[in-house]
Amino acid sequence: MLHYLIMCRSLTYAQRIVQSLERVGIRAWLIRSPVSVSPSGCSYSVKITQKDLSHALMILNHFQLPYLGIYIGSPEEGYREVDL
Amino acid sequence: MIYFDSAATTMQKPREVSRAVSEAIDHMASIGRGDSKASQSAADLLFNCRQAAADLFGVPSPEQVVFTFNATHGLNIAIKSLVKSGHSVLISGYEHNAVSRPLASIPGVQVRILNTPLFQPEVFLEQMRNELEQGVDVVICNHVSNVFGYILPVEEVASLCYDRGIPFLLDASQSAGTLPIHLERMHAAFVAMPGHKGLYGPQGTGLLLCGEVGEPLLYGGTGSLSFQRDMPDFLPDRLEAGTHNVAGIAGLLQGMAFVRKKGQANILRHEQSLKQMAAKGLRELPGVEVFSSPDPKVQSGVLSFRIRGHDCEEVGAYLSRHQVAIRSGFHCAPLAHQSAGTAETGTVRLSFSAFNTQQQVTRFLQILRGFYLS
Repeated sequence: MLHYLIMCRSLTYAQRIVQSLERVGIRAWLIRSPVSVSPSGCSYSVKITQKDLSHALMILNHFQLPYLGIYIGSPEEGYREVDL
Repeated sequence: MIYFDSAATTMQKPREVSRAVSEAIDHMASIGRGDSKASQSAADLLFNCRQAAADLFGVPSPEQVVFTFNATHGLNIAIKSLVKSGHSVLISGYEHNAVSRPLASIPGVQVRILNTPLFQPEVFLEQMRNELEQGVDVVICNHVSNVFGYILPVEEVASLCYDRGIPFLLDASQSAGTLPIHLERMHAAFVAMPGHKGLYGPQGTGLLLCGEVGEPLLYGGTGSLSFQRDMPDFLPDRLEAGTHNVAGIAGLLQGMAFVRKKGQANILRHEQSLKQMAAKGLRELPGVEVFSSPDPKVQSGVLSFRIRGHDCEEVGAYLSRHQVAIRSGFHCAPLAHQSAGTAETGTVRLSFSAFNTQQQVTRFLQILRGFYLS
């Protein structure tokens, strides 16, 4: 199933994003970033459903939570960066 | 045993601390190194602890809370980040060797020491203002003297530094858990503190609150940017190489919860009342010189004394034989003894915690009376 990944520069930043999104009712899962989207090595991402993207972006901007990029895809089909 | 050595470490901890340590040892793995439930539990724990510390100490974001092994570790990171060869560094005359030794290890640094008398913050501030006019690159100041419990006027110092654009490093080793500390309001570059004293966590824990990113002291794995040879340029990863003390941090989180529940001001008041009681009792004994102020704004729950004609180590050994744990000597703070005029003799130090009682102070005074007969 397609979903979005918010790629973060560290575990702690990803944890902050999960916390902020869950506080406003957005389901968010912390995962290790797939190697295919993480060329610099290990990193963490926050997984959200397609329907929540715009609300999630609003929250990220409101709280000035930094992220490295947004990807769409699934483990089966792979991921591609979304140009926002 | 009567334990009056909490300025070294609070040996008596809330029960929840050891339970949390045990739980973490049994069920938690390393963070950022795997995707298992045990690793995730540890990651959640560390994040919760960062968040709790950020809330308690006015840190804008949890990533600005860096885990260290003790306050000395944090002070070393901060000093090596801020102080470079050729710098002029102003420090209080009450600093611990955890400040003076890292400074001495950097070649070409001019260390200026503010030698001011005990319990006179106005004199301290006046001299501080004068020294700042001479040009200073970094200011480092103890919040509370580990020898005398002297509360230095660090909020005013922070403000003087901020007005002049001088980085300020606060050593909160003796104040975290009893006095208010707010990183953002102080505009401090760094605040270093142990986890095992006033925060009631286990030994081997500490926190460095970061107003700046800082330079790593240790290099190694962070669970991030694995293909990059340099350490990450963001916190907390930049300053946290290697495996965390997950079990210790689990205990620290519970220790901070205890402090929060009890209230920092209440703990301080309790310790100060024991200090006042001990000072009054000590003054009634022959030949005892007590370093105590009646003003709660200038002294915490730490007290030094000495007995004329007796070596402080002799007093310490006697108390130890009678199951009273105190600390005698120079307390790794020769500067403080020079400032207070006790460098020739050292002192006997009593330091209280939330777990001490008036009955213990009464018993201690009874035991010390026996010293004169021994």
